[in-house]
Amino acid sequence: MSADAQMTRISRPLQIAAYAFAALVGLAFLYPYWWMLVSAFRSTRAIMDDPLRLLPETLDLSIFTEIASLGGVSLARYIANSLAITTASTVLSVVVTALGAYALTRKPQLPGFTALRYGFLVTIMYPYMLLVIPVYLVMFKLGLLGSYAGIVLFLALGPIQFFLFEQFFRKIPGEVIEAAIIDGANEAQILFRIVLPMASSITVTVALITFLLNWAQWFPVLVISKTPDTYTLPVALLSMNTELGANFQGIMALAVITTLPVAGLFLLAQKRVMAGMASGAVKG
Amino acid sequence: MTTTLETVWHNRIFYLFVLPFAVLTILFGVWPIVLSIMVSFTASATALRPNPTYVGFANYAAIFADPAFLASLLRTFLYTAVAVVVNIGFAFGMAVLIDSPLLRRGGLLLRLALFLPVVTPDVAGYVVWRWLYDRSFGAINALFDTVGLPAFAGLTTGPTAMISLLIAELWHHAGFYMLIFHANLAIRDRALEEAAHVDGATAWQRWRYVILPQLKPAFIINTVYALIQFLKTFTVVVVMTKGGPNEATNFVSYYAYQLFDQGRYGEATAMASVLFLIVIGVSLTIYRLGDREAAR
Repeated sequence: MSADAQMTRISRPLQIAAYAFAALVGLAFLYPYWWMLVSAFRSTRAIMDDPLRLLPETLDLSIFTEIASLGGVSLARYIANSLAITTASTVLSVVVTALGAYALTRKPQLPGFTALRYGFLVTIMYPYMLLVIPVYLVMFKLGLLGSYAGIVLFLALGPIQFFLFEQFFRKIPGEVIEAAIIDGANEAQILFRIVLPMASSITVTVALITFLLNWAQWFPVLVISKTPDTYTLPVALLSMNTELGANFQGIMALAVITTLPVAGLFLLAQKRVMAGMASGAVKG
Repeated sequence: MTTTLETVWHNRIFYLFVLPFAVLTILFGVWPIVLSIMVSFTASATALRPNPTYVGFANYAAIFADPAFLASLLRTFLYTAVAVVVNIGFAFGMAVLIDSPLLRRGGLLLRLALFLPVVTPDVAGYVVWRWLYDRSFGAINALFDTVGLPAFAGLTTGPTAMISLLIAELWHHAGFYMLIFHANLAIRDRALEEAAHVDGATAWQRWRYVILPQLKPAFIINTVYALIQFLKTFTVVVVMTKGGPNEATNFVSYYAYQLFDQGRYGEATAMASVLFLIVIGVSLTIYRLGDREAAR
């Protein structure tokens, strides 16, 4: 028996009450997913008649052909945009942030490094939604408006990535690096042969979290895009939801497509994702 | 001067490592912020020209003379205060329940259920909530009807719209705060509790004097995160209410965005600066209060 269990004598009724309450809260949190999923397969008419039905009357897949084209762009393109933009920005984010955080933690006293650190901290403190507005002006000046490059570059910068890497690099014992220097290794060798191999696990964690976060991004994508051609799934979903005379079943089907990949990825890697999010946040 | 240059040259490889990160931070962080602050001092009509007309604090004076902005600011504060308390309270309760020996394995499932919405794209989550509240499609009113409760007005009246946003945001964010509390609970020193138990402390006393003080880091982090989060509430408004009904949910971020959309760049960026100062002020105050408490 654990110390905790000894201290709080567990009464049976209390335990049942705790389970019942936990189940109620858990189901309330999961219900929107179930409702979304069921609604994607039911006709709008059927939902209006009985919104609470827990299973679709028939497994009607016709909606996915109906939303195969949205706003003049094919659904396949939105999916491809989401995959491409999220993957590219994740790879870029991991590489850029790992190198940057490594240099800033190894040599914090170098000229300009403190200023850069503060610049980054101010950036992440700035209300994100309001940062995106002047970013529009910057993209305009750089000629990146409406380009994939503009979206990917902007999405590559994030606080949690930086803090996770910084935390990891700080924990590498100085002796490891000193020993390598004594052995005659140059800085590139130290980074690529010693530090980065040690960082493989944290790199996977950062990549996973970045993928999940960037998949959900919508506002920068909307602001930097000129046409729906560069929209990702959440942006397509938002514009579909904004239309008048909304196609309810279609919206739910698109919400399913937007949610399912990341929900699945999270459930597969939940331990790593939650541990990473907790430690990345605690540092910030 | 030469010594600085020598240091830089000697460490050039580190500058090479940091270069891409520095470029991104400057291009998409520092520059837009500086630009935003500069635009807030220019006349909107000339803001995007190469030689804008600088108007001093005129935009700031204008927004503080705008009753709609002041109302929006007040609304944002009110919503933030309620949302922070509700979210932190709920997340704390859930973390304690998950950590308690009462749930055993069920704790992991509850943890997953609470955290899944955090990684669910917010647009998708809020779209579903918007329709859950709907009078003719929504499951919420259908459920209320079935169990004999009066209809819930949802997004159609001011006060219920606020509550509806709060619930949807709680669903999306609380799992994150729960995670922080839970992580803090997991690393606490259990030997202290055993010692208190041996000394005859009641369960309440153990919580109040042994466990809660150890959770202070989580309370501080969560409060700062939640304050920042809710002060800039935006996505949920865009998806669910567009500031309505009757401006009832028009928070500062959304109001600033509306002005930006109308080409009133000067006022929009002035609002951004004001919100930025509030966010920084609030975060620093909480951290400092936390430090002072710790120093006692």
